[in-house]
Amino acid sequence: MSTKAASTHAPVTPVFKESVLAKLIAAFSGTPGIVLKIVLLSVANAIGIWAIVVLGTKHDWIAAAVVVGVTVAIDLLYFARRAVPAKFLIPGTFFLIAFQVIPVAYTIDVAFTNYSTGHILSKSDAIAQIKQVTLTQTGNGRTFTMAVAKDSGGHLVLLLSDDQTKQTYVGTSKSLTPVPKSTFTRASDGSITGAKGYRVLNAAQVSTVAIATQLQNLIVPAGGDRGIRAEGLDTAAELQPTLRYDAKHDQFIRLSNHAVFHDNGQGTFVNGTGKTQEQLLPGWKADVGFLNFSRMIHNPLVRAPFIRVFVWTFIFAGLTVFLSFSIGLFLAIALNKPGMRGRWVYRSAIILPYAIPGFLSLLVWHGLLNDDFGVVNSLLGHIGLHAPWLFDPNWARVSVILVSVWLTTPYFFLISLGALQSIPAELIEAARVDGAAAWQSFRKVTLPLLLVAVAPLMIASFAFNFNNFGNIYLLTGGGPALNDNGIAGATDILISYTYKIAFAAGLGQDYGLASAFSIVIFFLVATISAVSFWRTKSLENLA
Amino acid sequence: MVSTRKLRLAGILVVLALVGVLATTAAAKTTRTHGTTITVWVDSPQKPAIDASAAAWSAGKGITVNVLVHAFGGIRDDLKTVSPDNAPDIIIGPHDWVGDLATNGLIEPLYPKKATLSQFPSYALNAFSYGTAVKKLYGAPYGLENVGLVVNTGLAKVPTTFAQLEKEALAFKHKAAGNIAIAVPQGSGGDAYHMYPFFSGLGGYVFGTNKIGNLDPSNIGVANANFIKNAGLIDKWNKEGLINSKVDYNTAKNAWLKGQAAFWITGPWESDTLKSSGKHFKIIQMPKIVYQSVPFLGVQGMMVTKYAAAHGVDSLAKDFVSNYMMQPSAQLSLANANGRAPANLVAAKKYSDPVLSAFGKAGVGGVPMPNIPQMGAVWSELGGAWVKATKGTGAVPAKTAFRTAARNIANKIG
Repeated sequence: MSTKAASTHAPVTPVFKESVLAKLIAAFSGTPGIVLKIVLLSVANAIGIWAIVVLGTKHDWIAAAVVVGVTVAIDLLYFARRAVPAKFLIPGTFFLIAFQVIPVAYTIDVAFTNYSTGHILSKSDAIAQIKQVTLTQTGNGRTFTMAVAKDSGGHLVLLLSDDQTKQTYVGTSKSLTPVPKSTFTRASDGSITGAKGYRVLNAAQVSTVAIATQLQNLIVPAGGDRGIRAEGLDTAAELQPTLRYDAKHDQFIRLSNHAVFHDNGQGTFVNGTGKTQEQLLPGWKADVGFLNFSRMIHNPLVRAPFIRVFVWTFIFAGLTVFLSFSIGLFLAIALNKPGMRGRWVYRSAIILPYAIPGFLSLLVWHGLLNDDFGVVNSLLGHIGLHAPWLFDPNWARVSVILVSVWLTTPYFFLISLGALQSIPAELIEAARVDGAAAWQSFRKVTLPLLLVAVAPLMIASFAFNFNNFGNIYLLTGGGPALNDNGIAGATDILISYTYKIAFAAGLGQDYGLASAFSIVIFFLVATISAVSFWRTKSLENLA
Repeated sequence: MVSTRKLRLAGILVVLALVGVLATTAAAKTTRTHGTTITVWVDSPQKPAIDASAAAWSAGKGITVNVLVHAFGGIRDDLKTVSPDNAPDIIIGPHDWVGDLATNGLIEPLYPKKATLSQFPSYALNAFSYGTAVKKLYGAPYGLENVGLVVNTGLAKVPTTFAQLEKEALAFKHKAAGNIAIAVPQGSGGDAYHMYPFFSGLGGYVFGTNKIGNLDPSNIGVANANFIKNAGLIDKWNKEGLINSKVDYNTAKNAWLKGQAAFWITGPWESDTLKSSGKHFKIIQMPKIVYQSVPFLGVQGMMVTKYAAAHGVDSLAKDFVSNYMMQPSAQLSLANANGRAPANLVAAKKYSDPVLSAFGKAGVGGVPMPNIPQMGAVWSELGGAWVKATKGTGAVPAKTAFRTAARNIANKIG
């Protein structure tokens, strides 16, 4: 009616009302815009220069070159008046690379290495560390009372007094020379305070960077392959290597029995094979090809409960999405009725679970669902019910689904509400005119139109819940434990189960294996999502 | 138009140059150039104690000791990824990190004097020792902690035998609904640390030792014959309600504080709670079941990282850790600041806090939590087995539960 009335008026020149956005753009097109641009570019350049300086001091030239290139490219791009689309695309592309591409590339890279407990150093660091650890105390743990001094030539020497034999020595990097006890002046507590012909350094003098470095590197030869080394500022210990590194053949040789430890190509020096194999610690990070993937297939921990966990992951994610959507949609329809009193109160109340951080509400639920002492059971107790929420395998499964639904429903409520309001009322009116009942018009008109908008989000939510580590880990920790063969608990989904295998088995942390698992899970989720998206196209045809 | 453009370019160049200079000087400042600096990573509760010790040690040496607060678990994990420039020279941590850190090659062996070592109980030194072929000391122990049985003497008599404990606890439980017999913190995931006195009292152990005294991950004692022989007792306790794994940490604590539990298994971290509870209590080691019911021991200590050598401060860091920190005076002041009984025996004799000393006595004969990295595979299985066997109705026989756990642990260790 009103449209007809309007059209009878003579056409007026439309008054162009600027939007806030347009005003903003206009405001930033002049001098303020240039100033802002200079400020932002300066910040970007400052970060770039800072990064180049830091990388330069670490001699990481490749990374430095990349930073130089990117910084110059950004400057050129924004100084130039051309290439306007690129100016809008660059920030997005930059963050896409930084937060998506690089982590994914790194995960793939790690999946092909043995990066795990015992394999985190580089090979050269590992060799240096093995040389340190191979040192053992000689005899009955020979230690010395020590003072750091300089000889007449200004060379650093150690004044040593054997704690057991009380024999006194002067040690240099070349030799260990016995000297008469009377050479040293001793304090009442036995510490060496002076020596004839040597200038004893006090704690402050020894603690300078130059002397401290000299001191830690000073090894006094003590016959054979033994050496005396400072173990503090007034203590020294005699140490002897048990292994010798043969740089030419890249192997360690045990001095006592000449056993050879060779590089096994998987980041460890080993001797022998099978059960009697000996390994030297630490190992190093090395490329191991597809080893992590073959371990996944051959690992009995993975194989035994895999099907059960896989099926449960589908049930968990599927039911969570289906129930949340159903309840969310029901509530949305109920609260979409125009003219309903207190709509906003209800809507806000429903959105609340969404507004509380999940970490918090999961821990709260964990307490609420406590079997004998939780609020839920004490309420149910009034009507004579009692459920072992977190202790019984099946009830625990019910618990995680219930809590996940509680957390996810507000999301579907919100998007359903939005989607419902975008469905033209005329269509439903038309259906009603054609004689459709309420259920029929919902089933044949509202739902299909709604699904066009909501189905992709359902798929996304499914993919999210498929990997919903937080819900499982914080509520049940994957438990309760089952009695079957394998370490997966009743509520473990693939991702939490993977976590148990990669981070609570073997030697603790196996990043390589975990990355290999992530890649496989990624492909699973990607396949499911791709198939589902493809299928939702039929919904669009309907519309 | 040209002038604006020139102005713009000039402006940009000026700002760029300025920013560049600033950035360069800032970067130069962060590199170590002046003075000797030792960096220590510590979790926040222990920072004041370490600060005081570090100040006392470095006085007159001209050394700056940077005591940096790091999240507790982050100390161990970040050490694996930190860049050598920012890496700490010394870290503070519990002994059960040693296996993981030594396997990764991140910490250095220490060689203190015999006279110093003799002031420490062998279990404290063992706790910080690790090695597959040769055992090495990797840390200076300073604080001990373990659980004990806290008895509310207003509600029950202090038991001297386990039978007496069982009788007292059950009698108390039956007095009122909501009473807990023995409050052992568990929960649905289980807690192997708090239930260990029961486990050890029945003959259970986690890892046996090999010929040279190192923990042997292939010798798993979670379902050893002695334990299995006695495991029926767990089923009995479950049936009569002596133990209930549905009691979690907060439930246990609140029940004891409200007088709904006369017996509580807890440790020195609740010392302030106990002191301010206004209750009369006594802390004892749980009475012997079949074997002595010893708790797990946790030992706090300091470790020297491999980065100390790269920073040129290896000898200095070792002086602080294995000379200074192991002396009785340093141990005593650290214990007082830290609320844990000192590891050094000379210092322990002078230590006067009654509650903490009592917890210390409750730990006599205790077993250090295994420090080998394979222990990560044990916690959840051991705790899970206990929960399965003590969850009231529907519980699994203890024998079955612990045999399953033992098998899973073996599979996980691989």
